[in-house]
Amino acid sequence: PIEDLFTTLNRHIEQSEFEQAVKVADQVLSIAPGDEDAIRCKVVALIKADNIDGALSVIQSPKSSPIDFSYFKAYCLYRQNKLNEALELLRSQENNSASMLLKSQILYRLGELDACVDVYRKLQKSKIDSLEINFVAGLISAGKASE
Amino acid sequence: NPIVIDLAYNYIDFPSLENRM
Ligand SMILES: [K+]
Repeated sequence: PIEDLFTTLNRHIEQSEFEQAVKVADQVLSIAPGDEDAIRCKVVALIKADNIDGALSVIQSPKSSPIDFSYFKAYCLYRQNKLNEALELLRSQENNSASMLLKSQILYRLGELDACVDVYRKLQKSKIDSLEINFVAGLISAGKASE
Repeated sequence: NPIVIDLAYNYIDFPSLENRM
């Protein structure tokens, strides 16, 4: 039954066995093809298994079309260095901590350092662990090390 | 080059499967 598969899937996730998690998510999807939890688990497990191409192909498959994968898709594009495409995707997203962090990392890679530093300034209120490391990188690269 | 951490990765999370097991 599907409940047993999800129990197994959950165990693999808790043990960081991401390739195994993908296999069990596929087993769920063979029974319940559009299952949103299984599709989401598969995408996240592929990303965590460092299979960015695989994650993108699931995100872009017709079965995933009802699911909002904008952030995950933007993240995958960032990992593939398709920076402008990733940035474009984030424009239609609400400004939450995740999308702002990703945006700042993309801007850093694009060398748009003033814009990058501006996003980090806005994020400072959110108390994100290790944020200052990236903030400092942006400031140094932007030639604002004195701040 | 200064170190940059991939903090965006920390927001790639699994859905809760609590109600599916
Ligand atoms: K980065």
